[in-house]
Amino acid sequence: MVGVAVAALVATACGSSGSSYKGKTLQFGAVFSLTGPGGVYGAQQKLAVELATEVINRKGGVDGAKIAFRIEDDASDKQQSAQVTQRLIQEQRVVGLLGPTLSNSAVAAHPIADRLKTPMLAVSTTGFNIVGTCPYSCTYIFRDSLGEASAIPANIKTYADKAHPKTAVLLFPNDDKFSADGAQVVRDNVAKNNIELLDSIQFTKAEADLSPYVTKAVQRNPDVIFITSLGAIPSKIMIEARRQGFTGQFLGGNGFNTAAVSKAAGDAGKGAQSGSAWYSGNDFKANAEFIRAYKAKFNADPDQFAAQAYTGVLILVDSAKRAKLTFKDQAGDRRRLRDAMEKTSIDSPLGPFQFTKQHDVDQPIWIIAMDGRGGFSLVSSLNPG
Amino acid sequence: MDFLRQLFTDPVGFYHSHELLIAQAGINSLLALSMWVTLYSGQITLANVGFMAIGGYTSVILAIHLHSPLVVDVLAGCALAAVVSVAIGLPVLRLRGVFLAIATVGFGEALRFGVLLNLGITGKGQGLNNPAADPGALLPVWVSVAVVVYLFARLARTRTGVAWAAIREDDLAAASGAIDVARLKLAAFVIGAVVAAYAGALDAHLNFFVDPTEYAFNRAVLVLIFAVVGGTTTVAGPLVGAVLLTALPEIVRGAADYREVVYGVVLILVTVFRPEGIVSRRSFRVRAAADAS
Amino acid sequence: MRSFTQQLLNGIFIGSIYALFALGYTLVFGVLDVLNLAHSAVFMIGAVVAYSLVALHGWSFWVAAPAAIAVAGALGLVIEYVALRPLRRRNAPPLAAMITTIALALILVALVEQAKPGGALAWLWRDGANSVKFPPHTVPNDTFHVGGVTLTASKLAILVISVILMAALGYLVRRTSAGRSLRAVAENARAARLLGVNVNRVITRTLVASSALAGLAGILFGVALSDISPYIGRDQVELRGLAVIVLGGMGSVTGTIVGGYVLGIVEVMALLAFGTNVRAGVAFLALFLMLVLRPQGLLGGAAVERV
Repeated sequence: MVGVAVAALVATACGSSGSSYKGKTLQFGAVFSLTGPGGVYGAQQKLAVELATEVINRKGGVDGAKIAFRIEDDASDKQQSAQVTQRLIQEQRVVGLLGPTLSNSAVAAHPIADRLKTPMLAVSTTGFNIVGTCPYSCTYIFRDSLGEASAIPANIKTYADKAHPKTAVLLFPNDDKFSADGAQVVRDNVAKNNIELLDSIQFTKAEADLSPYVTKAVQRNPDVIFITSLGAIPSKIMIEARRQGFTGQFLGGNGFNTAAVSKAAGDAGKGAQSGSAWYSGNDFKANAEFIRAYKAKFNADPDQFAAQAYTGVLILVDSAKRAKLTFKDQAGDRRRLRDAMEKTSIDSPLGPFQFTKQHDVDQPIWIIAMDGRGGFSLVSSLNPG
Repeated sequence: MDFLRQLFTDPVGFYHSHELLIAQAGINSLLALSMWVTLYSGQITLANVGFMAIGGYTSVILAIHLHSPLVVDVLAGCALAAVVSVAIGLPVLRLRGVFLAIATVGFGEALRFGVLLNLGITGKGQGLNNPAADPGALLPVWVSVAVVVYLFARLARTRTGVAWAAIREDDLAAASGAIDVARLKLAAFVIGAVVAAYAGALDAHLNFFVDPTEYAFNRAVLVLIFAVVGGTTTVAGPLVGAVLLTALPEIVRGAADYREVVYGVVLILVTVFRPEGIVSRRSFRVRAAADAS
Repeated sequence: MRSFTQQLLNGIFIGSIYALFALGYTLVFGVLDVLNLAHSAVFMIGAVVAYSLVALHGWSFWVAAPAAIAVAGALGLVIEYVALRPLRRRNAPPLAAMITTIALALILVALVEQAKPGGALAWLWRDGANSVKFPPHTVPNDTFHVGGVTLTASKLAILVISVILMAALGYLVRRTSAGRSLRAVAENARAARLLGVNVNRVITRTLVASSALAGLAGILFGVALSDISPYIGRDQVELRGLAVIVLGGMGSVTGTIVGGYVLGIVEVMALLAFGTNVRAGVAFLALFLMLVLRPQGLLGGAAVERV
């Protein structure tokens, strides 16, 4: 009798630690912009997720379960973003998702995920009201991408403290959420750094020729030109501005933080500064491992977007481990995953990571500058204040 | 091919996974039908997305500021579209062929860039979030499609419908036959505008947003393709075209990276081998043969 | 004043691009009464091929550019044989040609968009959806500062080239027998055939010429605006092209060129006058008004279908 009880106790103890998920597959999804203007960022995100999947499975998966990511393209289009999200949740029955790439798409995709009560972790959206207080219910939405509301003020202050610029002009496309939100942050923060915003010039993101807008900006002779946009736009503006004789400073946002943009800007972009959630030279151990693995597999350097996507996978996987998933009760599992995510505390390439109460991110900010050759150099770093 | 397989083997599951897509097919059907009524009377107009925008934005703006019920919002959108369509139609419908098409494109884009992107109340470049959205509202959409199909089918058989067909075949001859061509063309244009606005209002209700990129030139062309590829001689044509072409990107999702290439190839094949459309009672060859002789 | 001059120059330069782009539309429309909506994709391919030859294969720009223009011209053959002739043979309505050319454009854009390193098309393009520019020092694009105003060589080149082309095309159309055949077919294809003109050959030549022009415009665009991606040509440029041919008069070469400059300048002036992005709205408003008030455009003389 006692023997049976002891055996039962031992069996339970063994069962609750280690291979409780053995033989199962943890199916996740990812909605990234692989084509369209967001494609510049989505490509790295996809690679990072594939790398993470491989690394984690090689190390034994999650308590014996293999992880699998189904990555779909939303073509930087809101409608497709929503449809793909729905399909991944309903058809592929994913337990959690990453994405979408653009803040602009998030307002379409996140409400769907939330309605279907599936946790969705945004790994590159930095606009307003993506998490916490949203115009729709977002209790299942998280993000690990540092918001513009934190990164831009830090960037402005860092530059202002050093160079004391007096005037600035802002250029942005007003039909993209990321760009418009970033512009709002700039407007809210210039005064406290004693910079006068001479003009705020708007255009649409599909415009081919930005020369007239750049001329308008350059003719004001500002010390700084703010460019809060993404894709091909920052480099085009910088090249044209230099051509027209602008010798001042470019300051920007998240849109700068990838090699493709630095390379496209080339010499014209040298010194263009932005706040980043990640810097390749940071001395977190998890980061060194990540960079090594990325270089080995893809023969290229990772960027901020890759680091955030990789971290996203780590977060999902760590939460899955703690969530005690049943693999039978889908709705319940999704809820358990969401609850476990709220208590995340891991080491990642971005540094030690935790969510705030608003499912947002609180982490060191790296101020980086384009080096004119397709890369970035570190200017300084700030810790969360 | 997973898409088709699931449709036949697991229709309930299919429905749940593709609610948004099915709803979208319904909206596209309404849009294609709004295009049909003008094509049936021989007019190539690409203004539907402009009216769709009017319907969508009006209903969302009312929902946000007045919290009015959906029915009121939708009706308001349709009414505004009707008024605008008369104002636009009167000068524009004197043009024919490609000129009319381009003029209507001009209207749509002027609306988008001049108005939607610059007014505060329309949320400028980022559009508006619709708080009362309901992505599960498929039933109103498809019921509407059924109603519109029925009404148009009846309409085609009335004197008005026959007159439209006559105008399409040869409007100069029709005019000499004591048909008030201008008034009938305008009627078709306005009806198309109202249906498009209705589609826009429903579309806004299904999604959580309206924004200017939803109503761009590309969409107008897409709607034209639905109608023409489906076939414009019968009411069923646009419906078939819209459903098939909305589903096509999903059907060929298996082609992964190259699905747009496959989509393009399919379009070319269908258009070349069946230029009168998939569903067609009688082909345009009749007229062309008469021309050639 | 300096600012105004610079903006005027901006307007003139972008106007040249619009005009060059729209020339192709006008040629095809004049002869075939068809809007070739694959034109913008050929524009893009011209830039992509030139970039590819220079950046991926190390060719000199002066050899790569003509090669790319030739490729673009060859695409004109593809358009004719795949998208247009089969429809003419079946007496399809003109709308059908719009659809097949749109589909062709879709295919071309998608092929480039998906081209990645290691992919099937990696010899042509490796940057997927990204925007790139010609590597520094491969293309002469000096910047001059004259009287406080900035001029770039590439934009000046566009200006000069478009004027030369207008003169050349005008001469070709009015003084050569090929030009006469073209005008005959544009006027009445059936009559022309009866008079012994090889209509199919005229049409093919027109498509090739128009596509070569598109390729040239694309290359200049890529150089002047430092922007080469699968998406150039789509949206804005394509629609502006439509606006231009309407403003200038469809089928009129001179009208198209004039229309391009008028649009470019009016847009920039509107931007200065109204501040934000009323720019494109102005273009379309102008187009709309022109069609309603004077459908033959500023210089078009051909009878416009009007009831």
